[in-house]
Amino acid sequence: MNEFLQQLINGLSIGSVYALMAVGYSLVYSIMNFSNFAHGGVIMFGAYFGYFFLKSLGLPFYMALLLAGGLAAILAVIVEKIAYSPLRRRNAPFLYYIISAMGASIFMENIVVATIGPTFLTYPNVISVEPIKLGNLSIGRLDLMMFIISAVSLILLVYIIDYTKVGKAIQATAYNMKASALMGINTDLIIIIVFALGGALAGIAGVLFGMKYTVYPQIGNITLKSFIAAVFGGLGSLPGAVIGSVLLGLIETLVSGYFSSQYRDLISFALLIFILIVRPVGLMGKVVEDKA
Amino acid sequence: MSKKLLVLAVCVVLILTTVLAGCTSKQSNTIKVGWIGSLTGDQAVWGQSELNTIKMLFDEINNNGGVLGKKLEVIGYDTKGDATEAVNAVKRLVSQDKVVAIIGPNSSGSAIAISSILEQYKVPDIATVATNPKVTVVDGKVKPYNFRVCFIDPYQGAVAAGYAYEVLKFKKAAILYDVTDEYSQGLTEFFEKSFKAMGGEIVAKEGFKAGDVDFRAQLSKIKAANPDVIFLPYFYKEVALTAKQAKDLGIKATLMGGDGWPSDVLLQMAGDAINGGYFINHVSYDDPVVQDYKNKYYQKYGKWPELNGYLAYDAVMVLVDAIKRAGSADSEKIKEALETTNLQGITGKIMISKDTHNPEGKEAVVIKIVDGKYVFQQKYAPKQQ
Repeated sequence: MNEFLQQLINGLSIGSVYALMAVGYSLVYSIMNFSNFAHGGVIMFGAYFGYFFLKSLGLPFYMALLLAGGLAAILAVIVEKIAYSPLRRRNAPFLYYIISAMGASIFMENIVVATIGPTFLTYPNVISVEPIKLGNLSIGRLDLMMFIISAVSLILLVYIIDYTKVGKAIQATAYNMKASALMGINTDLIIIIVFALGGALAGIAGVLFGMKYTVYPQIGNITLKSFIAAVFGGLGSLPGAVIGSVLLGLIETLVSGYFSSQYRDLISFALLIFILIVRPVGLMGKVVEDKA
Repeated sequence: MSKKLLVLAVCVVLILTTVLAGCTSKQSNTIKVGWIGSLTGDQAVWGQSELNTIKMLFDEINNNGGVLGKKLEVIGYDTKGDATEAVNAVKRLVSQDKVVAIIGPNSSGSAIAISSILEQYKVPDIATVATNPKVTVVDGKVKPYNFRVCFIDPYQGAVAAGYAYEVLKFKKAAILYDVTDEYSQGLTEFFEKSFKAMGGEIVAKEGFKAGDVDFRAQLSKIKAANPDVIFLPYFYKEVALTAKQAKDLGIKATLMGGDGWPSDVLLQMAGDAINGGYFINHVSYDDPVVQDYKNKYYQKYGKWPELNGYLAYDAVMVLVDAIKRAGSADSEKIKEALETTNLQGITGKIMISKDTHNPEGKEAVVIKIVDGKYVFQQKYAPKQQ
């Protein structure tokens, strides 16, 4: 029983890492209808930004987190301007966006390898590493913090989208970009805002990931899993992204804990494929016409 | 019109390449030695240490008159830790750069992959820390152009198992290993075999995949099996993460590993989570015979060499010795001389066997991590398996 509860906690904490990353994917997907693979690169940069603020400048943690989020938001907008905006103006097919996104992602990874170096860096300890003990169970403080920050960021995001004017504009743009533009919504600005929001989340995710697992240029690769989680939950649906991520984290841990760690990915992904066959839009995905 | 221009341009390019290629291959007063290894990626720290060591030694040798009156020159290529890249690098070294011998790589996967190219071009290679048996011997047959200066995985796995069971008196062991990595699998196999043969019990054996950063699911399972010792036969980054997560989960068992551990990065990353851990190594950094090299390296590069540097040092010694004894920088003659190598390196006695191309009977070193420092325990050789 103890082991099972511990595995649940492990699964939730891995899931919350995926969730922070997956939300950014879903956000961009809901507007642009393509998977922004450059998201992983932005997360990686977020981790490096956080590292330099904490280690080199010695800023307090919350400042580093906010600044890294801010810089990552700017970076995401720059990526949009350079890699996607020209394609959009030419009405390029969506396949080109994906290729462009992959290019941007590889470019970002290699620019870090070339300038900062390929070795990984360790964050200084900003919060106590001693886990919280509940009887025989242990909950990492960092895990708890990640869980809370993920939840807060997500609630903020849902608030912005559901209750603000900008949010309404984002929803309208997601529903139909051309019609929204005709109604006087500045869709270019909306796209920038969406990328900035996704980028800010990516920055925060990067810092938290870096604190937990170190920083290295290939961090972006781990976002592949969160992308899969986003698809599983229903691409374009924010709650879906979170639920998909948490479920993927749980499935992975329970499979390694109770079946076989060697076959973890095999079994987890077979399960995912099965769910997608039964429900192609993902767990929370709405019918294509009214996705938001 | 433009077609003619194109033809002309192609001709010019072709002529230039032949002329230039001719120029580069005609320098006969240098002996070119190739090096391959990781300069980027997870294992970059090691690769850089190897290449730095070789450059430093070659400078030294050249300042003292070189070898057979010729200067040594190293040409190094990055393999990114990838076997395909390693094969390409070797092809380039032997066909374009015309090296007489190659040093490296440090990873077994790459060292195994390059064998057929070496055999095709008949150029010998001395691997540094490639410890998998298949690097030099496959199906009981020795590969003619692969050599190494380190001991092999079975030996390392057996040393770890023997030390855990006989010296530390542990009876129950758990293993966590990288299922995608040949090195990790090799050590696991031989640790398991030796530990069981002595009467010990393997209470849990869990795997993960390269690129994973979270091992808590596996560790929780291992914790439930309550082992005395957990064997972690993989590289320092994952070891550091494992150690931290094991500590978070309240695991008290002793951690043990192989030569994938030693690195300053491990101590820095894992902090006190790795305290009390043991690992098997090729060399003790406190050994008096390595001090000269260690200090020279520090003076030149401003940091201490990694383990790979020490073995790259011995690889250079073995190669230079072979060239001298062969009396020529001909690849085939160097290969023959390498087969009768018998010298005292800084990592131990290197007596290469003609049948295995391994240094036979090299002792392993057991090191314990105490308060963020490597503390030499003893030299240990397991009983014959």
